Amino acid sequence: MHAVVFIKQVPQQNSVKITPDKQIDASGIEPIISLFDEYAIEEALLQVEKNGGKVTVVTIGGEEQIDALRKALAMGADQAILVNDPALRNIGSLGAAKVGAAVVRKLGDVDVVFCGKQSTDDETAVFGPAVARYLDMPVLSYVYKVHELDPGAKRVVVDRAMETTTETVEATLPAVLTTVKDLNQPRYPSLLKIKKAQKADIPRWTAADLGLNTAELAPKVTYLDRVPPPPRPKGSMIDGGSAQEKARKLVDVLVNAQVI
Amino acid sequence: MDFTANYDMFLTEEHEMLRQTVRQFAEREVQPFIRDWDREGAKDESDMAHVRPVLKRMGELGLLGICIPERYGGAGMDYLSLAIVCEELERIDTFLRVVISVHTGLNSLAIFQWGSDEQKQKYLVPQAQGVKLAGYCLTEPNAGTDVAGMQSTARREGDYYILNGEKTWISLADVADHFLVVAYTDRSKERRGMTAFIVERTFEGVETHAIHGKLGVRAGNTGSVVFNNVRVPVANRLGEEGEGFKIAMSALDNGRYTVAAGATGLIQAALEASIRYAKERETFGQPIAQHQLVKRMVSHMVRKLDTSRLLVYRAGWMKNQGRRNSRETTLAKWHATVSSFEAADDAIQVHGAYGFSDEYPVERMLRNARGAVIYEGTRELQELLQADFAFGFRENNLLRRELPAYDPAEWSE
Ligand SMILES: Cc1cc2nc3c(=O)[nH]c(=O)nc-3n(C[C@H](O)[C@H](O)[C@H](O)COP(=O)(O)OP(=O)(O)OC[C@H]3O[C@@H](n4cnc5c(N)ncnc54)[C@H](O)[C@@H]3O)c2cc1C
Repeated sequence: MHAVVFIKQVPQQNSVKITPDKQIDASGIEPIISLFDEYAIEEALLQVEKNGGKVTVVTIGGEEQIDALRKALAMGADQAILVNDPALRNIGSLGAAKVGAAVVRKLGDVDVVFCGKQSTDDETAVFGPAVARYLDMPVLSYVYKVHELDPGAKRVVVDRAMETTTETVEATLPAVLTTVKDLNQPRYPSLLKIKKAQKADIPRWTAADLGLNTAELAPKVTYLDRVPPPPRPKGSMIDGGSAQEKARKLVDVLVNAQVI
Repeated sequence: MDFTANYDMFLTEEHEMLRQTVRQFAEREVQPFIRDWDREGAKDESDMAHVRPVLKRMGELGLLGICIPERYGGAGMDYLSLAIVCEELERIDTFLRVVISVHTGLNSLAIFQWGSDEQKQKYLVPQAQGVKLAGYCLTEPNAGTDVAGMQSTARREGDYYILNGEKTWISLADVADHFLVVAYTDRSKERRGMTAFIVERTFEGVETHAIHGKLGVRAGNTGSVVFNNVRVPVANRLGEEGEGFKIAMSALDNGRYTVAAGATGLIQAALEASIRYAKERETFGQPIAQHQLVKRMVSHMVRKLDTSRLLVYRAGWMKNQGRRNSRETTLAKWHATVSSFEAADDAIQVHGAYGFSDEYPVERMLRNARGAVIYEGTRELQELLQADFAFGFRENNLLRRELPAYDPAEWSE
């Protein structure tokens, strides 16, 4: 089977700055693979270990994204592709999904597409469903358990986790699955693969390679304003002679704050 | 702030990914439990149930064979990677780094350097894979710094040596499967009469006992190893008869390197904890980070961190090149361990009374840092060595067998 995983690198913490032209400035903040994408990588690896085949990880972005791809390779992905084209810098979630769909089409033999339910920076949750729409594939969002993924029978059965309920659903393959937290336990990169990942040849694809007309990818949503997340509020210490006394005071604080 | 940035003259992207991986492991799988394990280890009746599962995980991840070529079951990374593993492990707790020091630094690298092909297949491969654990037995009740004062003996009898003696303060005494043991085969020759052996725990006459009441490294196991007429096959002699002292000292060149790197990680942990706390704690209407004397403590930690790290990486770079590095390694060990104790001490001061309680990790850092000023050559021994190198009384002499230089292609075969 061939599993494709779309991943994205995001700033580790939310202490980003907003530039005057309403862009995000994450300089100086360590980039990491977006939380939900790690679960997507792990699930693809698990399913391919079960069924045989290969995992391809794909990122759309600049050269700085290469670290995320190398980490995915070190976790066990078989190949990585970076879609890097200056014309694709500012394309929004729908534009990115069009690019993603074009990647899947170009790869050809894809059985399943994984991605995080949303990225932890833009949080639009549009990418996965939109890729499915452009490819005319079923989309199974908020997947928190994969019961069965059978490329031979072209069948997938998963649990979806919603706010308060879960449902078990079945769809045909190929399909797009978006993953939630705790679907699995993402593995650490393997030391042997870390070395290979550093040497791996990662192809760069452009819009032209994908046969895309970049004019059609312009964002349909414009940012009028962005308010940076507020700084983390200060904690306060609860003093007291004994654990009981401290606990009693804590309960008072929580009751007053109407938390309990 | 990223205190590991701007070391590109030594480190590559590969090292960075390794650092992130080891950090994630230590932060996820050890940090949440370490206070309880440390408390538990202080009890006389403690069964130290956490030790084996953690070591198993370290083995699975490949950390125990980090700088051993792949053909011997290791990860085939370089000696700087060994330092990074130690830094990141001791940033969370010293007991993790001690495992690397004795298993990888003192034992496995000695077999890699001095062992025959059969010995490498039989002992190095399972150790590098983390399937078997290894310790290093030099110290005795009456011989620490003065190695020649040891009393253990090994008498040749046909195809065996009969080993007798008691080793103490041995890390992983109750856990290790293999021990590297140094004993006299000819006492009249003093240092030239010592020989090194690989001894398996299962050999008849090997007994171990835990040491209780330790100041630090409480989450780790330390104990005595007693050899009572143990029959050690001649095939388990490491190097030649009479080479034991040289082998023990060359092993310390690798062990001390891991101790120095670990101490660097501890300094970083003390610094990070101090920065976090000093920005939050307020006195006289402002965070204590704004008070000059607190700034001084933090700035001194930064100085100690960077100087230690530079000394460690220089030694690691020399090991990668295959250069003799006793002088540079002992200097790194001396500076980094003494600095780590001072940094932990200042970190407690920054935390005030809270630093005096195990609610915060800094008191554990102080207790843990203290041991490294003693083991693998006391502070005083390192001082003597540095003076002797400076005076020219001592040199980085060539050995019959040197630690192999790092070869990225060959080590990945
Ligand atoms: C936690 C821990 C783990 C250990 N793990 C191991 C292990 O795995 N394997 C192992 O073999 N050993 C191990 N050791 C033992 C350690 O290596 C010895 O404790 C160390 O070498 C010092 O020896 P000693 O304790 O006998 O002190 P001594 O040698 O008796 O020294 C006592 C004091 O005298 C000073 N001194 C001695 N000689 C001189 C001199 N010539 N000039 C100036 N000062 C001098 C020393 O610096 C020290 O301050 C461990 C120790 C600890 C604490």
